[in-house]
Amino acid sequence: MSELNDLARKLLSECTVKVVIGYEEGSRGVRPAFITDPEQACKLVFDTRCVQNLAAYLNPRRKQITQLGKPAIVVKGCDARAVAGLIREQQITREGVVIIAMRCGGVLQRSETASELTSDTVSVRCAGCNDRDPKLFDHKLGELPPEPPVNPHRDEQIATLEKMTSAERWNFWTGELSRCIRCHACREACPMCFCVQCTADKTQPRWIDPSSTPPANRAWQTMRVLHQAGRCVDCLECERACPEHIPLGLLARHVANTMQRRFDYVASEDPSVAAPFGVFRPSDDEEFIR
Amino acid sequence: MTRRFLSHEKFAALVAALLASNTRVIAPVRAKDDPAQFDYLPIQKFRDAEFGARLPRRSAKEYFLPATEVLLHYKQTKAGVEIREVPTEAPPQVILGATPCDVAGLEVVDKVMGWDYCDELWFGRRQATTIVSFLCNMMDATCFCTAVGLAPDSFRGSDVLLVPVAGGYLAHVITSKGEALLQGYVVEADAAALADAEAAQNEARQAVEHHLPAIPAEFPGWLAANFDNPVWKTIALRCHGCGACAAVCPTCHCFDIVDEHESVDSGVRRRNWDSCQTSLFTLHASGHNPRQSQSERFRQRIQHKFSIYPSRFGEILCTGCGRCSRSCPGGMDLPKLLGELMTLANPGPEARNP
Repeated sequence: MSELNDLARKLLSECTVKVVIGYEEGSRGVRPAFITDPEQACKLVFDTRCVQNLAAYLNPRRKQITQLGKPAIVVKGCDARAVAGLIREQQITREGVVIIAMRCGGVLQRSETASELTSDTVSVRCAGCNDRDPKLFDHKLGELPPEPPVNPHRDEQIATLEKMTSAERWNFWTGELSRCIRCHACREACPMCFCVQCTADKTQPRWIDPSSTPPANRAWQTMRVLHQAGRCVDCLECERACPEHIPLGLLARHVANTMQRRFDYVASEDPSVAAPFGVFRPSDDEEFIR
Repeated sequence: MTRRFLSHEKFAALVAALLASNTRVIAPVRAKDDPAQFDYLPIQKFRDAEFGARLPRRSAKEYFLPATEVLLHYKQTKAGVEIREVPTEAPPQVILGATPCDVAGLEVVDKVMGWDYCDELWFGRRQATTIVSFLCNMMDATCFCTAVGLAPDSFRGSDVLLVPVAGGYLAHVITSKGEALLQGYVVEADAAALADAEAAQNEARQAVEHHLPAIPAEFPGWLAANFDNPVWKTIALRCHGCGACAAVCPTCHCFDIVDEHESVDSGVRRRNWDSCQTSLFTLHASGHNPRQSQSERFRQRIQHKFSIYPSRFGEILCTGCGRCSRSCPGGMDLPKLLGELMTLANPGPEARNP
């Protein structure tokens, strides 16, 4: 790990950046770290417990962080997709951030339970990952670890859901979303939810009722996931933040699968490739407009 | 206050009798989505509940202040607006196996709910509820109840506190409500049960005491005087402002009131949980927001809990349950932060005289 600590120390002491956003030991696994003092660079760690996607901290509206100055950020390949998304959607500039990418052998579901990566403990989002060797970086560190075991849990759940009749699926989601308390923690923790004003917060006109009722909960989560179509990087921060433990990643993954099938698009680490919502292609299917 | 013995059989019989009488019984139940976790949920039979396994993910406050509730129904008529208020009497409920931190939180929040206006819905449910808490042996590194004047065997807010002993429980019968509940189910406690319980209670207290020293009486004053301390600029960098902490907190009680149309001429007025950690909480109609960044919003959370509420009501608005730390996606750790702030407030002799 000294490679990472040395690089962070160098970037800070040479004033290339003012803060390195990475991971440090916390009381419950690792937690996000904001290192501004080169002497503290030794605190940075990177291992399979680094489940968090730190890209949300690059949101230009997080004033408490932007006031620190130019950041460097430690990313896994999957997190680099979010950084690419922020560049693609002109929230940050490529020159405005130093990307320290870590070659990744998969991460755990939960940071607090340190254990071997097994098909039960590895994050569902690591299954089939093509970004273990990151492509968007200023510095790429570490040796590429072997491929992690596959946790099939989510794909199995999605397959089950897709086999259901629409009435069964409606019942499943009505049940899950009935727990939503509309705290919008999913939105706040999401690196790609950066709107200055969210539609859910608008009061004139009020598009979505703020109370936790079945129709409003459905409207909120449907709007959020559709707004994420082709943008969601599958980091599962929404699911980690949800105090009601709603399987929001299932919804997001279903939409991502649809985007891949219909638009041949996967949110990638290349900021120059526009997302489907950002381009008009005469070849796009429009069979839903009759 | 009396101490009685409640056998396992009598405890099961008591719960069965409550359920048979259509009393809503809320107890820790293993979560469907994650078998390692527990939630406070209404049970249908005694076996649904598991006691003392793990601190439930959310506090029990939702059974007194639901995440959303209707306050009144309105209907526009030719003659004006017809208003129909909701009943403020609540059906009887028993909360079983709550932790002392969750139960104490209810008494702390009573202060604000009965302050300048008596919140009839809150007190309606408080009066209709009997609370049987359990000695807590489920603490982890994020627990710090003893730092805020409570303990794993605190009586505060409970009608009965049960302590597991050989063959059943030692029941600390705290209120007349608790006495009425246990009538006919308890017997005289023998010396062995009393000694067992005392040992268990001491052990539980010792297991949590070292997590954080007691918050000193001067701490609220220091916080108030240090509103502009530079520490607030950096203390909450990792906070996403998601408000999950407020959702799971036994003492966060802020709510928002909204009118929602259900048809062209009718609708409901609801109140919903709210959190000072979101920017919308303080957004003015003009577009100005006095709390511009998460630094100010997190400062508000600490100031309200550890300075503003104590100065107004003489109570710390925190029971040390540790849920905010456990649920935080950003890895904020309240006992650790409080420890840092307490050191700033009262530096050790070395720091004072370098």
